[in-house]
Amino acid sequence: MTTAAANPIHDAKQTPEDLVEYYFEQAWSDGLPVVPPTPEKIDAVLDMLGGDPDYIEAVVPPRRGGLTRRVLAINIVMAGCKPEYAPVVRAAMLALTSPAFNLNGIQATTHMVSPLLVVNGPIRNAIGMNAGHNVFGSGNRANATIGRAIRLILLSVGGGTPGDLDKSTLGSPAKYTYCIAENEEISPWAPYHVEHGMSPEDSSVFVIGGEPPHSITNHIADDAEGVLDSIVSAMSTIANNNAVSSGSCAVVIGPEHAATISKSGWTRHDVRNYLWMNAGNKFSALSFNDRYGKIYNRNLPRWYKRQPDARIPIVPSADDIHLFVAGGEAGRFSAFIPGWGHMTSPVLLRIDGTSSNAAAMCEDGTCRL
Amino acid sequence: MIYDPRGTIDAPVLHLAQRPASLRGLRVGVLDNTKWNGWKLEDRIATILAERLSLGPVRRYKKESFSRDARPELLAEIAAESDLVLTGIGD
Repeated sequence: MTTAAANPIHDAKQTPEDLVEYYFEQAWSDGLPVVPPTPEKIDAVLDMLGGDPDYIEAVVPPRRGGLTRRVLAINIVMAGCKPEYAPVVRAAMLALTSPAFNLNGIQATTHMVSPLLVVNGPIRNAIGMNAGHNVFGSGNRANATIGRAIRLILLSVGGGTPGDLDKSTLGSPAKYTYCIAENEEISPWAPYHVEHGMSPEDSSVFVIGGEPPHSITNHIADDAEGVLDSIVSAMSTIANNNAVSSGSCAVVIGPEHAATISKSGWTRHDVRNYLWMNAGNKFSALSFNDRYGKIYNRNLPRWYKRQPDARIPIVPSADDIHLFVAGGEAGRFSAFIPGWGHMTSPVLLRIDGTSSNAAAMCEDGTCRL
Repeated sequence: MIYDPRGTIDAPVLHLAQRPASLRGLRVGVLDNTKWNGWKLEDRIATILAERLSLGPVRRYKKESFSRDARPELLAEIAAESDLVLTGIGD
């Protein structure tokens, strides 16, 4: 079945006067005006991507649209990206369409999940990404338009149209754009991609299916335990998907909190293990004391104790807590980003599309070696 | 110039299987998609069908994850052992 022309160029004689309105009318937009693509702009992106413009980089579910380099370039231009952002968008799409991520489920679910992109390495500064103040917010072209290009592709190529193939009950603001960079310069620890077996000179993109960030305030603690106990509190709710479906999550520590934790001598490893050891719920809370029968929570790992007083961790292991340092230098805030559950596994790729061998897993992400 | 941002779909057209003329004696596979209440729904339907119709043996299968595709080996097993397959979702 073919639903769109193989050659994406419409007849130039019929080009309407107001292209922005025309793209709105075709529903080729995220609800905001798009940048009308021109041959020059598309060629500039194709030059950055290199190779045959008709090469299919990925097939995007659930519509299973073919993401050729040309179609990728069209969406990158429409999102308002500079050509030099293109390799980041491509690497993110390769990560999102790897079997472990289960983009089909992420696109179609009733949950509000959206892919979060976190960029590491020299490319952050080369393309002018924001890792500082308002890192999750507006105001930076690279962060905003890279995330927006991903969403346009998920909508147009992946067919993730709200109410049609995207069945999200509520959606979230992160479904417009959700892309940050780690603040490696201010972080007291090694960058995320180095923790995961890459070199500091590598540039990488990490994708995880997440809720929007949940703010964590702590203006009192002057040690690691105090700051981390606030993060533990934010993580320990029975209402997020991690609580009932395990999986993975992200924690973004603000620079002031990171400095306090680091001053106590704690490493990334210590932080992740402390959070894992202390965040979670009692099984009695998750099972509503069997008020609705004993079948509830059958999707938690089989090795958890199903006893009222058993502690159920928020994710199965400390490695399932993905830790970043980001944000501006002032302010004692961090953020918790609950994941979607065991139905998806995060993916880390270098910008050239290659992966580190540090995190071995089954190809489809459903088991652990 | 106008550019279509959607990309083309290049997938084989799949047709639904022929409906059987009779259910008598047919082997039934029931696939649990592992949603919270999915099994309650599927089990009840399978029980009602078995009571009302002269079905053959009913076999039960379980997916690894409700959101992911069933493993190809599991699908092959179900296809080899079933004439009819019942599955569903139950939030």
